Amino acid sequence: MVGGGRMMDEAKYFRARKRGGMRLVVVPSLWGSGAERSPIVVLNRDGAKHIEIDPAFLPDEVIYWPELLLSVSPERAGQACGDVWSHALEAFLSPLSGEEMQSELASLINELLQLPLITDVRWFDASARACVLQVKTSVGLVHGIAHILEAQMTTQYPSDGWGHAKLCSVFLLPVMDFNRKNSCKWVERAAKYAIDESGVWAVLKALHESGAYRQALPVLRECWSRILRDPCTRTNGTLVRPQAIRFFEEWSSR
Amino acid sequence: MTNVEKLKDLVVEVFLIDPSEFHLDLRREQVETWDSLGVVSLAVGVEETFGCHFTQEEALGLKSVGDVITVLEHHGISFREV
Repeated sequence: MVGGGRMMDEAKYFRARKRGGMRLVVVPSLWGSGAERSPIVVLNRDGAKHIEIDPAFLPDEVIYWPELLLSVSPERAGQACGDVWSHALEAFLSPLSGEEMQSELASLINELLQLPLITDVRWFDASARACVLQVKTSVGLVHGIAHILEAQMTTQYPSDGWGHAKLCSVFLLPVMDFNRKNSCKWVERAAKYAIDESGVWAVLKALHESGAYRQALPVLRECWSRILRDPCTRTNGTLVRPQAIRFFEEWSSR
Repeated sequence: MTNVEKLKDLVVEVFLIDPSEFHLDLRREQVETWDSLGVVSLAVGVEETFGCHFTQEEALGLKSVGDVITVLEHHGISFREV
């Protein structure tokens, strides 16, 4: 099958649960999710995200077809980069990542810093690596927000291109700012593994869309109690307390 | 704020329970959200609140608020006000 993360996950689930024995060859149409290398499926069911992990979900073959990227808009390409960055940074800060994982993720983060936030076939490899590493650790609040808000944002603003990658791109900067201000973990780990912190922050600012953030804020507020209960939120690198919503209400990218 | 009060705030906020539900004999099976992910959140919160890092064995062995206090006391955090 040819498609993005959502399509690949549906195909992976269908093959594993309904058509055992069928070979699955995937051709990702965009990088970001890393679904082609992941034993996880994230399915949209009744307006909620349903997550399952099973090695049987892994496709048999992955084919990268760079020409497919020619039709990707610069905006979508940038958001797909944000998806990769959110996997890498949230896994790096995860309470479940040990020193070996942190070291691998730091190497990946330093490599991501060399990639431009535009269409570039190298993002496929980076995306797959980030996905494999986050599967071994966990992701955090950015993904908790993205999983809960996606259905509502796409329904409420159908023409504004809201989807998982855009939500990750828009919320990565404020969430990382939240993590940095509430825990010394980011500063300590960035220093320990010689990560160019100012470079990372410049990327996060480039990915962020302040108008989109303002548009999403009322929905964030409305869904906050569900976000707190999301499994990804609960493995955030910094504890997300109920009153943290105030941080995001008052947050500004300036 | 005493350490008991800090721990109460932490348990209430990690497990999203009503403050009135908190007591020092509270056990894991009485709290729906005290699952494996809750243990991870609790360990992160303990580190931020009390500045001490639970080992994996310590975190997995927590079955009650009393256990949390016992482990914290082993790390030198006093709950003498209990």
